[in-house]
Amino acid sequence: MSDLSHIRNFSIIAHIDHGKSTLADRFIQYCGGLSDREMAEQVLDSMDIERERGITIKAQSVTLDYTARDGKVYQLNFIDTPGHVDFSYEVSRSLSACEGALLVVDAGQGVEAQSVANCYTAIEQGLEVLPILNKMDLPQADPDKVRAEIEDIIGIDATTACLVSAKTGLGIEDALEYLVENIPPPEGDRDAPLQALIIDSWFDNYLGVVSLVRVKQGQLRKRDKIIPKSTGKAHQVDAVGIFTPKRLETGVLRAGEVGFVVAGIKDIQGAPVGDTLVNAQQPDVPALPGFKKVKPQVYAGIFTISTDDYEDFREALAKLTLNDASLFYEPETSDALGFGFRCGFLGMLHMEIIQERLEREYDLDLITTAPTVVYEIEKKDGEVVYVDNPSRLPETGEIEEMREPIARCSILVPQDYLGNVITLCSEKRGNQIDMQFLGTQVSVVYDIPLAEVVLDFFDRIKSVSRGYASLDYSFDRFEPAQLARLDVLINGERVDALAVIVHRDQIQHRGRVLTDKMKELIPRQMFDVAIQAAVGGKVVARTTVKALRKNVTAKCYGGDATRKKKLLEKQKAGKKRMKQVGSVEIPQSAFLAVLKVD
Amino acid sequence: MSLPELPPLGLYIHLPWCERKCPYCDFNSHERENLPEQAYVEALLRDLENDLPLAQGRSVRTLFIGGGTPSLFSAGAIRTLLQGIAARLPLAEDLEATLEANPGSAEAARFAGYREAGINRLSLGIQSFGNHQLRALGRIHDSDQAHAAILAAREAGFARLNLDLMHGLPGQTEADALADLRQALDYNSGHLSWYQLTIEQNTVFHKHPPLLPVEDALADIQDAGEGLLQAAKLENYEVSAWALPGHACRHNRNYWTFGDYLGIGAGAHGKISHPDGRIQRYAKKRQPEAYLSAAGGEHRARQDWLEQEALPGEYLLNALRLREGFLLADYRARTGLDRDSLQPALDTMLARGLLAENPDTGNIRATPLGRRFLDSVIAEFL
Repeated sequence: MSDLSHIRNFSIIAHIDHGKSTLADRFIQYCGGLSDREMAEQVLDSMDIERERGITIKAQSVTLDYTARDGKVYQLNFIDTPGHVDFSYEVSRSLSACEGALLVVDAGQGVEAQSVANCYTAIEQGLEVLPILNKMDLPQADPDKVRAEIEDIIGIDATTACLVSAKTGLGIEDALEYLVENIPPPEGDRDAPLQALIIDSWFDNYLGVVSLVRVKQGQLRKRDKIIPKSTGKAHQVDAVGIFTPKRLETGVLRAGEVGFVVAGIKDIQGAPVGDTLVNAQQPDVPALPGFKKVKPQVYAGIFTISTDDYEDFREALAKLTLNDASLFYEPETSDALGFGFRCGFLGMLHMEIIQERLEREYDLDLITTAPTVVYEIEKKDGEVVYVDNPSRLPETGEIEEMREPIARCSILVPQDYLGNVITLCSEKRGNQIDMQFLGTQVSVVYDIPLAEVVLDFFDRIKSVSRGYASLDYSFDRFEPAQLARLDVLINGERVDALAVIVHRDQIQHRGRVLTDKMKELIPRQMFDVAIQAAVGGKVVARTTVKALRKNVTAKCYGGDATRKKKLLEKQKAGKKRMKQVGSVEIPQSAFLAVLKVD
Repeated sequence: MSLPELPPLGLYIHLPWCERKCPYCDFNSHERENLPEQAYVEALLRDLENDLPLAQGRSVRTLFIGGGTPSLFSAGAIRTLLQGIAARLPLAEDLEATLEANPGSAEAARFAGYREAGINRLSLGIQSFGNHQLRALGRIHDSDQAHAAILAAREAGFARLNLDLMHGLPGQTEADALADLRQALDYNSGHLSWYQLTIEQNTVFHKHPPLLPVEDALADIQDAGEGLLQAAKLENYEVSAWALPGHACRHNRNYWTFGDYLGIGAGAHGKISHPDGRIQRYAKKRQPEAYLSAAGGEHRARQDWLEQEALPGEYLLNALRLREGFLLADYRARTGLDRDSLQPALDTMLARGLLAENPDTGNIRATPLGRRFLDSVIAEFL
């Protein structure tokens, strides 16, 4: 069949908690993708961490056969997208495989800033965006108000929006019909030479590299020889198929379809995301545009607690970057922590997830240093450098001007919470740029130093608005600022991994809170431990962890040596989780505590 | 790797019953009335018979009857036991034979009988002379009985006598602790075990923790008490053990110098070296009933052979508790290993002033600082 009219490729754009995963599960169930027994809740979020945190991080896909009311069977390819503000880059990747997107909005809560941004991305990429109002079963559902909001804020027609409740099953079939009728089928010549876009790649211990692809033209068959354009190396295709959501080998993927390819690629750089696959016999097909590289917003040093783990750590990072191009890393050496990597992340959640995946999936014990944004430094000799590591800040004497990154933040908030949000934004050194009243919601735009945004702004804005305000932000520009590096000295020794760059107004406060926090976290040792916070040579706060008086087991009689030994071994295991800096043992938690300081 | 000469041999005997279990005690002890004295003594001798090959021709230099409360056993039962042991194993001429006793009045009446049976060292679990402290510890004796028991031990002819005292007790002040020590010192008993109350797992105190003095107060008690004991010319030959010259407990010293010992009785532990360099540890069944009903050869609950990598830690675990430390020559004789096996931890500890080495004698010992943080030092070698 060379007709593509029965195919629909779509994504779902939704804010966290607006019910995307539940809706996807309903589609799968309705189309019989899984038996009830297999219908584990929210099958699409397959990483443990995604399931636990209730968010979607990686793009995943599922192919469903839907028999429509016109009697025809449609192939629906659903490509999942992440919903958190940190992952907007991943969204555009998923959207590039689709012709349409469902905008799912909670009929009680209304439109959120993140969805607005993602909608614009979809519209820019030429997708048909169809609004769907979910959670219609809830008493606070107000479809008229939300329809108006969609039209006011996003500017798309919402009069025909589908009303559904993924929870009760209401309107699911209508939504599928709506989708089939309104999303255009893909285009692409199935007889042309192969051209397929890699949407995602991940490493499977048994299969090697598995790639999720969208075939733009031609066909991709088992035993074909394919070439990723970026490497130029030919590989034989071992398997092709679709996710139903179980992995199902079909032997072929044709233009317009989305599915997986396994081609015995063992090298994790062998099939990078955004690359184009072509047939080895017709290798001159041009590469597709791919994806624009995203710049990490937050940087932190990650070190293994045991130096023996360094090589494993390097390998784990390489595997993770295969399907997470937004993760950046380069070797870093710290006086305090030894060899590790400076890693760049999209945001704090991204950082936490990466650290969790490294610890859980690769069984590594890690220390993460306080995250920082990138600062632009103009030196006296005219050179401009970018600093993503506080310990690499040039000497004060060499600096002409320091500039901090400013983020443009778009916030949507119900009027009742506007006051709280404005207070928070000024506390975070924000500048108001714009404010518009749209129905019951207010759209406010602020310029806020990125350093203030990435740490806990998202959580804070949620808490001051009882979860109703939403945020989207992006880097805007560098701006001159009064900044300084706050050093932490332990027994007179500067600990590079504990340094942070702070605004000058905050030095006293941060210094005091930081030393107090360290005092809480550093256990008493055999000697007094002096903790100082200093800027340049000037100490701004100090405190002392008094020495332990003794550590000796009193009575050790009887011939039972094993019990006593176990106790000491336990003590030692606790110490292993600490890092020796000079002669002082500093626990893992102390390095991260720097960022929990407000 | 072989051991040209096997270490000296001790014998530990465990009697697992108490009139009442103390809330801080995590030893293998059980409450029971009508002790099966005779049956237990027979079980001990059966147990010993199976362990005889482990003696490998050595005579027993020291024996120690611990518990539980061994003094619940009659003098007659102890006599039968000692005679039974002597009939099966050669005992050294200068055998040190210790028995742990509770300072209750019923027990004190038996002391003379124990002495006649062949016990030549008595260890009295005084713990404190303060009645409120004794109650807090759940002890069944009182201050008067404690004093009377010491006099009874003297009268029974025990020239070697240990008094067990605890400090860091619930609500205890420095003055309280020193008062206990002074009263003990007045008896000039030759040996004191003075140790801080430790809350162990699987005890009543662990589940319902008493209010103990804070860490600094505990350290003050320790410092003041040490001063008092030193002034009395007692030598702190091990972390918690203080003795006049010639009064150190030889049986415990054998543990601390990685000597060998047979262990018989419910839950008793043994450690035996073999000429080929292998070293085993074993433990007997803990439950008295299971132990009593065990037929010949079934008393043992488990046994492990020590890995060679574990030997440095196993040796130092106890050897560093001794004030005198150890000689590298002795370390080699007991483990078959040389100085390098203690690296790199040894150099680190020497550099940090926690251990000191005399290159002429090959002696290694904890410095005063190292003694205060001995657990941290030992952990480096595990």
